[in-house]
Amino acid sequence: MISFSQVTKRYPGGHEALSSATLAIEKGELVFLTGHSGAGKSTLLKLIAAIERPTSGVVSVSGQNISRLSQRAIPYLRRNIGLVFQDHKLLFDRNVIENVVLPLDIAGFDRREALKRARAVIDKVGLLKREKSNPVSLSGGEQQRLCIARALVSRPALLLADEPTGNLDAGYAADIMAMFRDFHQVGTTLVIATHDDRAISALGGRTVHLDHGKITEGAA
Amino acid sequence: MKHWLRHQKHALTTALRRLFSQPVVTLLTALAMGVAISLPSALYLMLGNLNRLAGDLPAQPEISLFLAADVTTVQKGLIAARLKQTDIAQARYTPKQQALTALSASQDLADITAGLSENPLPDAWVVRPQASTPEALRHLAGELGKLPGVAETQLDSQWIERLQAALAIGRTGVWLLGGLFAIALMAISSNAIRARVLTRRDEIHVSRLIGATNRYIRRPFLYLGALQGLLGGLAAGGVLALAGAMLRAPVAHLSSLYGANFQLLPPSGTEIAIVLAITTLTGWLGAWIAVTRTLHQTSAPR
Repeated sequence: MISFSQVTKRYPGGHEALSSATLAIEKGELVFLTGHSGAGKSTLLKLIAAIERPTSGVVSVSGQNISRLSQRAIPYLRRNIGLVFQDHKLLFDRNVIENVVLPLDIAGFDRREALKRARAVIDKVGLLKREKSNPVSLSGGEQQRLCIARALVSRPALLLADEPTGNLDAGYAADIMAMFRDFHQVGTTLVIATHDDRAISALGGRTVHLDHGKITEGAA
Repeated sequence: MKHWLRHQKHALTTALRRLFSQPVVTLLTALAMGVAISLPSALYLMLGNLNRLAGDLPAQPEISLFLAADVTTVQKGLIAARLKQTDIAQARYTPKQQALTALSASQDLADITAGLSENPLPDAWVVRPQASTPEALRHLAGELGKLPGVAETQLDSQWIERLQAALAIGRTGVWLLGGLFAIALMAISSNAIRARVLTRRDEIHVSRLIGATNRYIRRPFLYLGALQGLLGGLAAGGVLALAGAMLRAPVAHLSSLYGANFQLLPPSGTEIAIVLAITTLTGWLGAWIAVTRTLHQTSAPR
């Protein structure tokens, strides 16, 4: 589903975030990206979602070469990818359900159908009682669950999560990871960047370790 | 198609919500646009009214023939015969005695005419020719002027021609001014929309991350610009209506002093529709420029 071939990403200023990375991830896999902060985990995820473009090498997702993808095609690629951010990136000018419905609005769904689907996902992440609340009033864990609900509402085949439990205490983190396991079991491909070792051991799955932009283990 | 309509509807409701979420900004922008567009519109209306005023005056030009003081009866007869020809529609003779009587009848001048030892006024013909083109008129005036016994001819259509020429300049001015103010309008709209785009940076950023196309992001702002422009046009209408209401009485007074019954003509439905269409379009264009620029600046992948 995802393949990296000799991918290097150098940011303006010369910092090399990823060096000659080669990696293959199959459909339906659960992959953890580990490594110290600044090792290139986020960059790797950004390359998959075409938020960044590689300096050299080839990134391909679902058979599409991301570097060759035109600006116009990128939105359609992203609609098949659910993104979970460490800082949630929620919109505070609208309530919980409006946040979740946004991807469906963008994709041009019928409003009533969109609300129905959004409500179902919100129920799944346990926020149904808060659907009319403003995200500001939610706790950190709830905000993260809301972010996950938004990533999942369009039923993407691929979910990318960047430090999804980074700011959460152990209880919340376990909750979130349990949720990810459920998605993995229904066939979603998951790539999760984290340094939460407990979560990794609890869920199992493959681990890809990064060190200073180089993949040191789990590449194959 | 259904998809497209749904997107349009969504964009329109979003735009309306954003418009009313900042009512003061909306109002001020509409006023700025309204005042800007009301200037060329007012000039246009003024010219239209002046043009009508010119049209109300005897459209058929007249040539006045003033006879020499020493004109002979034979010469008078010849002139009268010439004026019976077919190229003359109508000719009216005013003997000098009659002209003096008419002058004396006018109150203010009675004293002056009473003090005159002899009648200084000439005998005169007022001629209405068949022809109406300026060249033909000038030609005829020249020919009549050469008749023996005619001291001077005067083509009365001259000032109307001059007015028409002035109005033509005015009309060109309206287009120039209109064009300039349309650019100003676009700038106002562009600025207003840019400010709104900047306050929604986060939303735009997030929308992009979850698969929004540039078109999806741009659409509500375009509607916003168009609506803002429409409001500006309506504001201009308000400004003009107010100005018209204030000017009505003074204009009526002035025209009554001239013994005329002249009233300000309001713009036609078509003219109002055109102004609204132009402001809406410029609002849309301004928004397009603002959003496209910002989208390029914040374009995601590096």
